[in-house]
Amino acid sequence: MILGDLLGTPVHNDDGVWLGRVADARFVVDGAPHRLMADARLLGLVVSPHSWSSFMGYERNSLTQPWPLPKLLRWRHRGSFFVMWEDIEVLGDRSVRLRPGYTAYSPALDGNGQE
Amino acid sequence: MKTPRPPGSDPLAPIPPVAGQTLDAQLHLLDRQVLDSDGVPVTTVDDLELGAPEGEPETPIETVIPTGTPAPVLRALLTGPVLGTRIFGGRPPSSRLIRIPWADVASVGVVVRLGVSGQGLDADWVERWIRDKIIARIPGGRRDPR
Repeated sequence: MILGDLLGTPVHNDDGVWLGRVADARFVVDGAPHRLMADARLLGLVVSPHSWSSFMGYERNSLTQPWPLPKLLRWRHRGSFFVMWEDIEVLGDRSVRLRPGYTAYSPALDGNGQE
Repeated sequence: MKTPRPPGSDPLAPIPPVAGQTLDAQLHLLDRQVLDSDGVPVTTVDDLELGAPEGEPETPIETVIPTGTPAPVLRALLTGPVLGTRIFGGRPPSSRLIRIPWADVASVGVVVRLGVSGQGLDADWVERWIRDKIIARIPGGRRDPR
């Protein structure tokens, strides 16, 4: 599967209610080890109801400068949430459906926004 | 379009801690420059290919994913002729994209570093072709400028 096909895909809950679009895919490098790096497994998807593009990740870190960009960009991504892979029921380039009772997590990254 | 808020999730809980490096595709991988093991630029990351972990059945697409299915993993960084599709939409056919296996990636930071030499990769064949067929025929073109 090509990731570019997944970005921007509409996301619905199990009742078919539109929740947003896939704004990003988060990976964690903790899979099977290889010679150089371990496998990067899909941890989950960032879903955004207003914008599925991102500008330098301001909405996912705690940076406050330069004013007023961070505030504006966070407002643009208001309502964004993260769903784990385990909560995804259907994955495709036409739509993504979440499992009943899925948990919405904060899409924020730790510290400096790298990991 | 309405009801964008997920139910019962304000404020949202942080993601449970994970052991490895976390990479957001758009923030940390896409459009990053790729350097080979000698620090020579190879290409940029235009897209990513996902697939089931080794030895596992393919992840179902557009059908219900059974509970407990292992999460897909990054198989390859993709690069190719994407200028036109970035302007007009869509993406090049999968067969036109050049793959750099994830197993060749050494680190991901400001740039993506490979653990292999770029000489053996298909990703910079255009550059090699121009070097061998055009630059090398210019008088002095075979001399190392350093």
